[in-house]
Amino acid sequence: MLHVEGIKKSFGGLMAVHEVSFQIKEGELSSIIGPNGAGKTTLFNLLTGHLRPDAGRILFKEKEITGLSPHEICRKGIGRSFQRTNIFPRLSAFDNIQVAVMSWQRKSGNIFLQAQKMLREETDEILESVGLGDKKEMTAGLLAHGDQRRLEIGIALGSHPELLLLDEPTAGMSPEESGMTVDLIQKLARERSLTVLFIEHDMNVVFKISEYIRVMHMGRIIAEGKPDEVRANAEVQRIYLAEGA
Amino acid sequence: MIIGIISALVLLGVLPAFIGPGWISLINEMFIIALAACALNLILGYCGMVSFGPAGLYAVGAYTTALLLVNTKIPFAVTLMAGPLMAGIAAIIVGWFCVRLTHVYFSLLTLAFSQIIHTIIFEWYGFTRGDDGIVNIPVPKFLASITHYYYFSLVIVCVCLLLLRMIINSPFGKTLQAIRENPNRTESIGINVRRYQLSAFVLSGFFLGVAGTLFCCFNKNVFPNYAHWMKSTEMLVVCLLGGVYYFLGPVVGSIVYMFLDKIITSYTQYWPLVLGLVILALLLFLRGGIAGFIVKGVELARPRSKS
Amino acid sequence: MTLQQLIIQLLSGISVGMVIFLIAVGLSLIFGTLRILNLAHGSLYMLGAFLCFWLSSTLSHLSGAFWWTLILAPLAVALFGGLLEAFLLRRIYTREMLDQFLFTFALILIIGDLCKLAWGVEYHMVSTPWPLNGPITIMGMGFPLYNVFLIGCGPLVFVGLWTFIHYTGLGRIIRAVTYNRDMANALGVNVPLVYTAVFMLGCWLAGLGGALVAPMSAVMLGMDMVVLIDCFIIVVIGGLGSMPGAFLGSLILGLVNAFGILVAPRLAIAFGFILMIIVLVIRPWGLMGKPE
Repeated sequence: MLHVEGIKKSFGGLMAVHEVSFQIKEGELSSIIGPNGAGKTTLFNLLTGHLRPDAGRILFKEKEITGLSPHEICRKGIGRSFQRTNIFPRLSAFDNIQVAVMSWQRKSGNIFLQAQKMLREETDEILESVGLGDKKEMTAGLLAHGDQRRLEIGIALGSHPELLLLDEPTAGMSPEESGMTVDLIQKLARERSLTVLFIEHDMNVVFKISEYIRVMHMGRIIAEGKPDEVRANAEVQRIYLAEGA
Repeated sequence: MIIGIISALVLLGVLPAFIGPGWISLINEMFIIALAACALNLILGYCGMVSFGPAGLYAVGAYTTALLLVNTKIPFAVTLMAGPLMAGIAAIIVGWFCVRLTHVYFSLLTLAFSQIIHTIIFEWYGFTRGDDGIVNIPVPKFLASITHYYYFSLVIVCVCLLLLRMIINSPFGKTLQAIRENPNRTESIGINVRRYQLSAFVLSGFFLGVAGTLFCCFNKNVFPNYAHWMKSTEMLVVCLLGGVYYFLGPVVGSIVYMFLDKIITSYTQYWPLVLGLVILALLLFLRGGIAGFIVKGVELARPRSKS
Repeated sequence: MTLQQLIIQLLSGISVGMVIFLIAVGLSLIFGTLRILNLAHGSLYMLGAFLCFWLSSTLSHLSGAFWWTLILAPLAVALFGGLLEAFLLRRIYTREMLDQFLFTFALILIIGDLCKLAWGVEYHMVSTPWPLNGPITIMGMGFPLYNVFLIGCGPLVFVGLWTFIHYTGLGRIIRAVTYNRDMANALGVNVPLVYTAVFMLGCWLAGLGGALVAPMSAVMLGMDMVVLIDCFIIVVIGGLGSMPGAFLGSLILGLVNAFGILVAPRLAIAFGFILMIIVLVIRPWGLMGKPE
């Protein structure tokens, strides 16, 4: 589904992403791990168009998406959540998701209809599925951190992605909440036939639900494979122990 | 809420029977400022774009109408439409450049364009009569009386406010708010943010043009200072005084501003000082403007429903 | 237009530019470190000019009164600025840009009227101080010696500021706070104090500019806004937060204005804005600024 070839990105003299290539199969639930500064978020930024690669190609469903802008990439079917909570603070939870749904349905440019009544079912459905059904009128900025992270995923779902990129979905959560979020991700992936790629630091999460893991270090993918293979990989062990990540 | 608005309209409708022409003029002027401020607030409060140059577009509307009325025999109704249309066109040009920037740079660029408009009006004596302004603008007879013009502007302002309300409540309006909250995220959900910002800027410019046109016919004169940044700051202050996150905020702001202006200038020549202190007090103690204060007061007074 | 006239015009433009540089660099410094655009900066300049007028007439019995004024007026403005920052400005650092604009705009209104209250609406003149009160001859034409002095002040202040910021301990602290406020805080730097210090420095510069300009042109209400607009143009051209940028921008604006008046007097006002637009469209962070 996603085909990344030789992606490179440097900032000034620093090579953040160094000739990264990989493929993601449809329906796969995989993760990218690595110590801080390995280039994971930069990679995501390259995939979603927030950054332009210096070299290389990205193909989604056989079509080239390199260099497209974020809003165009969203339309192609790639959704994303962010490492630092990136919601619409003063809008209600309902509105947060509705905006995404309206955009997907190409209704955002309409100035004649009343937004309040539109697309209620679909928005409610997404709210329910991320567990925020009872909080839909609450101002997003006032939600608890865990709820905000869930809302974050909900907004991404509003764009009907086929590929969902989640950047540290359990960041800042307690083990309990992380567990709930993990279950949520699995459930969503199943129900909506999503392909999911996520970045994580919490190893429990990673090894629990990933079918496939890629390890990044200093801008390169240094190991990949099924969880057991990666766990046994000496290089990976060395990096994690050495870096103390 | 609806009851409040209807009663306010009724009140405004019958007011001219009870008050003198001076007051009618004052309230008329207030409508026009309210419309200009609401037009500005479309991009300011609802889209987070701090423009320092609304006066430029306002003046384009005013001068277009003035020039057409004075120099041509084009029917009045057409000149009324021409003002906002020209303002909208100007907004497309100015906006195209400005939306490529954000924050401080956006604001400064809108200021620069507005000042250029001011300079053009000021210096192009042959066309705009420069500093002398265009005076004795002929308005149709049925609008010559103060009371008639009052009703005329009331109707137009109400229609425009209804249109603005429709825009704000539409999906487009919600998307603008999302842009205000988080432009980056909005981009990620498939919205071409720049295009939306430009559209909002043009719509805002159109309604600013309506306000300018109304004022042109109200005052029967136009002057270059309609485009000056002082006028822009007046509009900004009105919005902020009333509260930018509420639809009627700028309306409240214009009422308060006009009354403060008239009352305080009759007591002292230090109106700027008082206004400055009022603004400081508002910012420090009454965040959300006066409308915000009223809304919160109403919320506190209302018995709470079960959550 | 003879070569001499051209040179005189050029020098005139530069001297004006150098005074505006003092105000613009203060504005730029404040933006660079405190991240707010201080709209009231022009008002502080005007305050400096009024103080200069008042002090030089009050102290006129002293010899060298002007030079005393030059020391005292900027200090007074700096002190005033320090109080402003500590008691008022501090509260709005975390607010949105809109609130900050409105806040500093309110200060414009207040300071402007305070000047009006204190010194009235007429304009005041300050006489050029001895020994600078006379013309010198440049290529056969007269040119005020005072303006030459102003041309010298610009680079002098620039060098002084640059040395201060880049070669002293306090300067290093300021740079640290500018670069990464939270990191500096974590390292034990008293960030609020640094903010106050930088703000006071900016005010001192504005006050100095006002005091210096007083003998050259009339001291009157309204001079705050004229200089503010020029400052905006300069910091946009040069780059917000960049000292060399402010210097370059001031030179450019001074020259553009001086020649603009020769070439197309009626449109000269617009030249600065046109430059501003060009820079904002092509290179928004200015000639010497850094993209954010």
